[in-house]
Amino acid sequence: MKRHVFPGLKIAALFACLLPLQAPAATPKTDLVWGSNLPRALDPHVVYDVPMQFFMLNTYDTLYRYEGNPPRIQPWLAESHTVSADGLTWTFKLKDGVVFHDGRKLTAADVAYSFRRVLTLKLGPASAFSAYLKPEGVTAPDARTVKFVLSVPYAPFLAAVPLIAIVNQAEVKTHESDGDWGSKWLASNEAGSGAYTFDIKTYRPQEIIDLYRFPKHFMGWKDNPNPVEVVRAHTVKETSTRVLALLRGDIDATDSYLPTDQVERLKKAKDVTVAEDESMRTLLIRMNNSRPPFDNLHFRKCLSQAFNYDGFIKVILKGYAVRNPGPIPRNLWGAPADLAGYSFDLKKAKAECDLAKAEGAPIGRKLDIYIMSEFDQSTQTAQVLQADARKIGLDINIVPSTWANLTTMMGKPETTPDMWVHWVSTYFVDPENWIGQMYDSHFHGSWKASSWYTNPKVDSLLAEARRETDQGKRKALYEEASRLVVADAADIWIYNTIQLRGLTNRIKGYRFSPVGSGGEIRWISIQK
Amino acid sequence: MLRFTIRRTLLVIPVLFGLLLLTFCMMHMVPADPAAALAGENASLERIEEIRQLYGFDQSMPMQFWRYLLQVVNGDFGLSLYSHRSIGGDILLRLPATLELTLTALLFGTVGGLSLGTLAAVWHNSWFDHLIRLFTVGGLAIASFWFAIMLQIVFAMNLDWLPLRGRLPTGMTPPATVTGFFLIDSLLAGDLATFAAAMRQIVLPAMTLSLGSLATITRFTRSSILETLQKDFVTYELAAGIPKRRVIFPYALRNSLVSPITQVGLLFGGLISSAVVVEAIFDWPGLGSYLVDAILTSDYMAILAVTLVVGTVYAFVNIVVDLVHSVVDPRVAEEL
Repeated sequence: MKRHVFPGLKIAALFACLLPLQAPAATPKTDLVWGSNLPRALDPHVVYDVPMQFFMLNTYDTLYRYEGNPPRIQPWLAESHTVSADGLTWTFKLKDGVVFHDGRKLTAADVAYSFRRVLTLKLGPASAFSAYLKPEGVTAPDARTVKFVLSVPYAPFLAAVPLIAIVNQAEVKTHESDGDWGSKWLASNEAGSGAYTFDIKTYRPQEIIDLYRFPKHFMGWKDNPNPVEVVRAHTVKETSTRVLALLRGDIDATDSYLPTDQVERLKKAKDVTVAEDESMRTLLIRMNNSRPPFDNLHFRKCLSQAFNYDGFIKVILKGYAVRNPGPIPRNLWGAPADLAGYSFDLKKAKAECDLAKAEGAPIGRKLDIYIMSEFDQSTQTAQVLQADARKIGLDINIVPSTWANLTTMMGKPETTPDMWVHWVSTYFVDPENWIGQMYDSHFHGSWKASSWYTNPKVDSLLAEARRETDQGKRKALYEEASRLVVADAADIWIYNTIQLRGLTNRIKGYRFSPVGSGGEIRWISIQK
Repeated sequence: MLRFTIRRTLLVIPVLFGLLLLTFCMMHMVPADPAAALAGENASLERIEEIRQLYGFDQSMPMQFWRYLLQVVNGDFGLSLYSHRSIGGDILLRLPATLELTLTALLFGTVGGLSLGTLAAVWHNSWFDHLIRLFTVGGLAIASFWFAIMLQIVFAMNLDWLPLRGRLPTGMTPPATVTGFFLIDSLLAGDLATFAAAMRQIVLPAMTLSLGSLATITRFTRSSILETLQKDFVTYELAAGIPKRRVIFPYALRNSLVSPITQVGLLFGGLISSAVVVEAIFDWPGLGSYLVDAILTSDYMAILAVTLVVGTVYAFVNIVVDLVHSVVDPRVAEEL
């Protein structure tokens, strides 16, 4: 009689036989495994966000580049630059002997093509230039000279130059179709001259990017005699998986936004370390200054003193953030050193609210605060305000949302929420990136100017700072504007970020800069 | 049966049209403007309006839907608004990963569920039965992200038996693509090392994903067999002297399969949606994480494409389930 063996047992036995098979060690110990988020696509003129910075800094070069912390702008592909007395014409002289990964020489024509490409595609980094630079304003008079003619004087121009990666014109042009400037091709390829080359064969979008050292990089490798030869960058989405993978040695580096509770855990573990670096990424609660009761100065001051800054930073964030009392990061020039800002004091807050009420401000209505639900700290910030505001009789309602929804809502004052929580990151290192675009009424309608704050004096100071090319004078203008905005309690400014990246102890030479968050691999070596 | 298959396949078309229309309308109810997000950090209102016109977001909803429909009928899902990559290409890269994980989880759930359910019914009210009932309640109640992290801690961190994350070990080259399923493609290439590695990688995510379906199928199988065992033909066969084990395995089990198999079809949809969480925790590069990114950035074209593809797969899985019914139960075949 045929014996019936239950099918489940057969399959279980098959799996049991296969499980003990050890997979071969696929990664040599000299490879660096980078475990952070990867860009959605590879065209640096289309995608511009924090994950793209990692790819761009390693595979492309720029005319100038930020290095160190606080970041200093330094010549990179450019040897030097000059600016005309009227602040309109900027001329850059290129270094000689720079080659792209395909061996072709990098010339001024490649630089001009790259800027024109950005300005024509009008995506990603283009918005930092489009108000004052047209494609025809970029020319290459000779092989080593690039000239930019701005339509209006714009002092922060140099600060924005590192946003633009220089692409290999000849290579991109051969892949252009239907006037797309090669964007379809460059979304999955690379055409740079950076310190690392990209391996198309192993590329899997938002999953794997393998980089190989480029020995002919124009900077040479004398400053790092033991560089990383192969970088295997992998997306590790979940924080818990990132931390476990680091502890297990599966990855050598996490992202730089580790939650503070995980930091304590990693600090106790052997073989790993946590790099702590103060960045230029400020957290704030925006208030819609155009809508009652937020149009009342006393009410805004009331809320500014109803937020428990110390409690939030010291208890919830365990001290991994630095109080930032104004709109400009405290470690950037233009932020007044003596600016005290507001502190938590419910008695003073109540007194301000009473004054607002006496002036007819409708402070009894339900107030909405919108959060980006994918970020825990966004929720925690709103909850801290909600809890203390309740003690002085304010009713705050937390509304979950997403970045895409929120940026849409900021287009008009009537659709902008009462309050919302967000960060302002370092895209270019100039006060214009913060106070300039956040509190000049000229920018109303963009998410950055979503307080709908209007002060003609501030507008005038910011416009002058944009025209002025002397940094000393610009600093004074931004300091004065900061004091005015803080006196008007336009928003609730909370902290400047300390970026936290988990690293294995075999990594040496890690260098942090707020631009790129320490993702530039050329400085790193691996201890064998 | 052929007529049935053709009829059901044709019925999929209006279902998918309805699904697409519903998703399209729901997306437009959300106040997100992809043009604003696409324009970048410091874009002016004029620039946002320009992008709106460029991508046709300024047109009426019916017109936008009609244009999209024409494009899809021509087999083109378009380019992602944010990456400028082909959406069809990205889905082709990621769909096999999701299907491989989902089908493996379904295999775990079905084989395990049928086995445990049958044994629980055979040993009705024994300690084993009580244990299985406890397990099934737990399996349905436990949150998958918690279970996933527990598996990672136990099997990857403490015991070091299985890998923590990913679809292949870092640096290992995937097998040449035939089906996109690494398990199958590595076998087709005769590459046993890659097959073993892929097998080890899939165990923890598939176990996590299968937990709910394993519990459901176990419960349905157990109750279905218990009900069958009460029927007259079983009493007759036992009275005729046929051993109990033989009565149960070929006869009672076959008569009890209709209900669990129906569940398999229904569970498949749930598995695909649960895969979003499981893929994120195990860094499994499937459609789940692609869809989440698309939703967070309001990448309409990508959301619609993934909805359509998942809807199509779900519809066809249910057709297959109906056909399996007819094989298991000839009475169903007569009705088709």
